[in-house]
Amino acid sequence: MWFWRRRKEGELEEEVRSHLEMAAKERVARGDTTEQAEGAARREFGNVELVKEVTRDVWGWRWLEDLYEDARFGLRMLWKNPGFTAVAVLTLALGIGANSAIFSLVNAILLKPLPYAHSERLVMAWEKVRLPSYQNDRNDPAPGNFVDWQKQNTVFQDMAAIRYRSFNLTGEGEPVRVEGEGVSASVFPMLQVNAVLGRVFTLDEDRPGVWVVLMSHALWVSRFGARPEIVGKTILLDGESYEVIGVLPEGFHFPDPDDQLWVPAAFTPSERVNHGSHYLRVVAELKPEINLPQARAQMDGIARHLTEQYPDTNTGVGVTLVPLSEQIVGNVRPALLTLMGAFGLTLLMVCANVGNLLLARGSVRRREMGIRVALGANRARILRQLLTESVLLALLGGAVGVVLAYWGVKSLAWVGPPDLPRINEIGVNGRVLLFTLGISVLAGIGFGIAPALEATRHDVEKSLKSGLRESPVGSRINLRNVLIVAEMAMGVVVLVGAGLLLRSFVRLAQAPLGFQTQNLQTFRVIPRGEKYSQLERRITFYKEAIEKIEALPGVKSASAVTFLPLTQAGGSKGFSIEGRAPFSPGQIPMADYDVMTPGYFQTMRIPLIEGRDFSWDDHSLTRRVIVINESMARTFWPHEDPLNKRIKEGQLDDPAPWLTVVGVAGDIRQFNVSTEPRPAMYFPVTQFKDARGVLRDWVVRSSGDSPALAAAVRSVIWSLDKDLPISRVRSMEQVRSTSIAPQAFNLLLLGLSGCLALILAAVGLYGVTSYAVAQRSREIGIRMALGAQPSDVRRHILKEGTRLAMTGLGVGAVAALALSRLIASLLYGITSTDPITFAAVAFVLTIVAVAACWIPARRATRVDPIEALRYE
Amino acid sequence: MPEKRERYQNRIELLQGTLDLLILQTLQWGPQHGYGISVTIRSRSGEILQVDTGSLYPALHRLEKQKWIKADWKVSENNQRAKFYQLTATGKKQLSKERSKWAQLSDAIAGVLNPEQ
Repeated sequence: MWFWRRRKEGELEEEVRSHLEMAAKERVARGDTTEQAEGAARREFGNVELVKEVTRDVWGWRWLEDLYEDARFGLRMLWKNPGFTAVAVLTLALGIGANSAIFSLVNAILLKPLPYAHSERLVMAWEKVRLPSYQNDRNDPAPGNFVDWQKQNTVFQDMAAIRYRSFNLTGEGEPVRVEGEGVSASVFPMLQVNAVLGRVFTLDEDRPGVWVVLMSHALWVSRFGARPEIVGKTILLDGESYEVIGVLPEGFHFPDPDDQLWVPAAFTPSERVNHGSHYLRVVAELKPEINLPQARAQMDGIARHLTEQYPDTNTGVGVTLVPLSEQIVGNVRPALLTLMGAFGLTLLMVCANVGNLLLARGSVRRREMGIRVALGANRARILRQLLTESVLLALLGGAVGVVLAYWGVKSLAWVGPPDLPRINEIGVNGRVLLFTLGISVLAGIGFGIAPALEATRHDVEKSLKSGLRESPVGSRINLRNVLIVAEMAMGVVVLVGAGLLLRSFVRLAQAPLGFQTQNLQTFRVIPRGEKYSQLERRITFYKEAIEKIEALPGVKSASAVTFLPLTQAGGSKGFSIEGRAPFSPGQIPMADYDVMTPGYFQTMRIPLIEGRDFSWDDHSLTRRVIVINESMARTFWPHEDPLNKRIKEGQLDDPAPWLTVVGVAGDIRQFNVSTEPRPAMYFPVTQFKDARGVLRDWVVRSSGDSPALAAAVRSVIWSLDKDLPISRVRSMEQVRSTSIAPQAFNLLLLGLSGCLALILAAVGLYGVTSYAVAQRSREIGIRMALGAQPSDVRRHILKEGTRLAMTGLGVGAVAALALSRLIASLLYGITSTDPITFAAVAFVLTIVAVAACWIPARRATRVDPIEALRYE
Repeated sequence: MPEKRERYQNRIELLQGTLDLLILQTLQWGPQHGYGISVTIRSRSGEILQVDTGSLYPALHRLEKQKWIKADWKVSENNQRAKFYQLTATGKKQLSKERSKWAQLSDAIAGVLNPEQ
């Protein structure tokens, strides 16, 4: 395009020249001298440049060239003012970069569709349980319900069940624990996932007695050397031989990122009619012509039908359908949106600051503007040029910001919470760059338009005189002050948000857990397989292992349990109390449960309020014992002593054995830190025959920090059975901090935005006050000449500055009160209008405001009245 | 015959459309370069219409953009390279349109100035 342009330019040049030559020649022919002729011809022609200019206008490319010229000029201006440019670009880079980083999170997690085909048609199906004692909208479905849902629906293309499995992989090399799932064969066609080696399950293989397994790509590479002969090979899982029939594509880990092995769900006939044990996850694909409300309506009908058919198990049990994307990212959405809001506000604050910077510079450039107007530029033209400069500045800031965002996103791997969904899809990609470009341009126009309008407002004569030092006395409601008040207000909102989250996190971190986390080591060993299929064998193993571990130096006690606290793991059972009126189906009370070895309460330092702990002698199958917690005692035996009372699982007339309460233990937080203790009952491993309730996690209380403990425990376990893998070795403190890692992460980011906001507010206020002092030096000089003391002047300036800040504070406080309820879902233990937070923010901002105005105020006292008055 | 003709000190502000008409008509008589067009218009109008180059060249480039005239670099009568313009087929059509518009306009004005005839 430039060549064509240059050629046209050359042609125009030549055309004009030939015109002049011909005109001159004619004059010479009529008798003028060459000089006279040329001069007359040129005069007759007129202003050559102007003619060329007007002609060029016709070509229509004018605006583009003007833009280019403006940009070049703008760059030169920025180059000549390195201080201003550096500050502005850096500030913009922080603001824009932060927003880009958050947007790349939002883009990857919330906006991009899931990496499965037809992901918009995939839904998770949960049981919606509404009972007087237990409510859960996302209850794990029971296999009986899954089977009936699958049989009776007409809205789903297909349904698949997923049951959690984990395996001890032994045979080659060190025994290792591998997470996996048992899945219906239909799950792979549903996700349109095919094996890259071998094949996936057939429908026929989805039954008990078929020992086939699919392997993840990662496991194939890490453990089996990526050898193609893996297909057809058998591997030992929990002591059983499974044939590997396929390897799945790289990056496929459904539904959990830890999953490495998949076996068929293989429900037994009894499982297929079991409507009372809840442990599945169910995925379904909607038919193309069915939408979600229709599906929900039909499933509600099916659920009602099942309630009639199986009143004992299905009363109060409905169906919840959740789109898969919602399931995966739903609980992160509020936090992400809050962060976007907070960083968006800081970007606005950045714009206000840069806008103020430009306003200050605008008055310096007034002469330049006057000259431009005198040379023929109209207001629109100057406006366009100033806006070009602003946008250029913003684009520079955006470019640096993108680099910052890139590093920020990369560091997410270390700083971020471990269960951030879709973490491997996050990156600074094309859409993020486009977003950055967009907000840069918007920001440039945003902070540039007001200063540009202001700069082109004054008329020519006033500017051409050297009347630089005007004193715009009087009007408090000028643009600069409005900007700073708005900025302070926004700062208040961000700081209140950060403050609320901080207090919330402190509450969370200090929440009483009911047990002691210090000096408590945890790890996972699960005795599985043929060897341990007998209860007696398992009990022996636990007993021996605990004895040997307790014999280690520094170890005070050890124990094993099924659900380690604070790991989002747990289970619940319905029960009935002896001697009470039987509950109607669906009214049955529920309690959390756990299974443990004797000594668990002691190891965890959970107080025993009444009665006793289990002992290894409690293995009689006729007199079964349980321990309940305080909540359960209080709720169900409010005026009696629960000791020696009996309860049983299920209904009073069920054939389940009676359980005698032998102890009451203190409440603990089981599921996670923020969930209040619920009624719970504890079973001894010695009497718990159900193989699915195998103890998984071990806890070891030591007298101090002993790094050698982990190795010593390992050798103890392996001395008993060298084929048992040991995994998840971490201290209870680590478990606790992992469980609050998401909140910590939110706090970190929101805290960053709060710090940024504080700095911006301080810098902004400082800038505005400094400028005011500089502008009003004449006035100050007069005051001092009339007898004002330096301290009076200082006080005056401080009052002015802090008045602005206080106005901003007030507006911001109102805004924060209104907006803070939006983040109520992120808070724990405090309300969104927590007065202490608001007071603290007000206090901090006031201090910062005073500090920011202090230096300019001091500078004001140094004004020499004579100098100030002399400067006309 | 008066010695002194009425000479307009200022160049006549021709309406844009009228200048287009004059240029198209001038080119009707054969291809011509910018200087030649201005000379022709001046002489044919009896020295009254002296076209400002600041109007002429933009007009020429605009007409060229609208494809009513097209340009060629040729050698002029005094062996100089010059940009020659000539009418295109659409230009010819536009010329007759402009002529009839001009005739309409002048009749209308005449009608107002001499109402009884």
